[in-house]
Amino acid sequence: MSNSKLYKGSLTTIILKLLNEHDKMYGYEITQKVKELTKGELKITEGALYPALHKLEAEGLLDVEVAKVDNRLRKYYKLTETGTKETVNKLEELADYIKTMQALVNPKLA
Amino acid sequence: MKLTESQIQDLYAFTRQHFVEHYDLQTELVDHLANDIEMMWKSEPKLSFEEAKNKAFKKFGIFGFMDAIEQKQKAMNKRYRSYLWYEIKKWFEMPQIVATIALYVFFYITFSSKFTAIFSLIFYIIISGWCIYKSTQLNRQFRKRKEISNKKWMLEELIFKQAGAASLIFMSQLYNVFTIPDKFEINTLFLLLFSLAFTVLTLINYISLEVIPNKAEKLLNETYPEFSL
Repeated sequence: MSNSKLYKGSLTTIILKLLNEHDKMYGYEITQKVKELTKGELKITEGALYPALHKLEAEGLLDVEVAKVDNRLRKYYKLTETGTKETVNKLEELADYIKTMQALVNPKLA
Repeated sequence: MKLTESQIQDLYAFTRQHFVEHYDLQTELVDHLANDIEMMWKSEPKLSFEEAKNKAFKKFGIFGFMDAIEQKQKAMNKRYRSYLWYEIKKWFEMPQIVATIALYVFFYITFSSKFTAIFSLIFYIIISGWCIYKSTQLNRQFRKRKEISNKKWMLEELIFKQAGAASLIFMSQLYNVFTIPDKFEINTLFLLLFSLAFTVLTLINYISLEVIPNKAEKLLNETYPEFSL
């Protein structure tokens, strides 16, 4: 997905977290938002984003809405109730992971 | 600068050239490419539409839209299975359970006679014959729908064509069904399971070839908010 393989496992968490903060978002908007928030450090590739979104939709974590914008149709994603609950779990998981890595890499800080 | 209507149509054609057959996925990818092209034009207004389009496509990586297609197909199969499962469960609740039990008892009584092999073959032929008839009919319906709307939806294809594929697998087991009574000792347990297998097969075929296709419009509208747009 990005410049580093380390980010790969966190893609779904990133998507869920962004959707938790915004009511609804479309694919391109997600890639741009991540680029903006990380100041270009992390670029979600298109080839990874859509498969991840479709997987989350199939799992019932995301719901879709479609609207006509300009002269085309736009598909928006938003969290379902299960999706909101799962976001909390995923974020906790990620925090634990960061803590564990911190303890390994930099024991003084942990 | 915004894309024109004909450029949007060009993007639809572009996704089709890159093996995206279904309108649902095409629409999402067209919007993505369009957004990216418009963004590029902000910093490089002189870039031609073709150049910008190719640049946007390259960002999908060497496999192009393949990963997106594959994952979308998996997601849609999952959705289809959940619809199927939902309908199957209904046949084990009131009032349909009465019909399910009646069917089961019917199979059990006929298989309990001394003509187990012949009866199983007759039922098998009836069920498969009906499956072939329904699959052909659904395939024809699917082609007509596509001709009218000029669009193909992934779930629509599963509803109208997957059901047919499932019955073909069922058909290929003809020889096995015929020899089952010879291979096993016919006792009560065998008869209970054999009747259960026939009941379940009848239900699955009936649901996937009759119940779900009849609900196609409702399911498609539920799955695709853009379906009736």
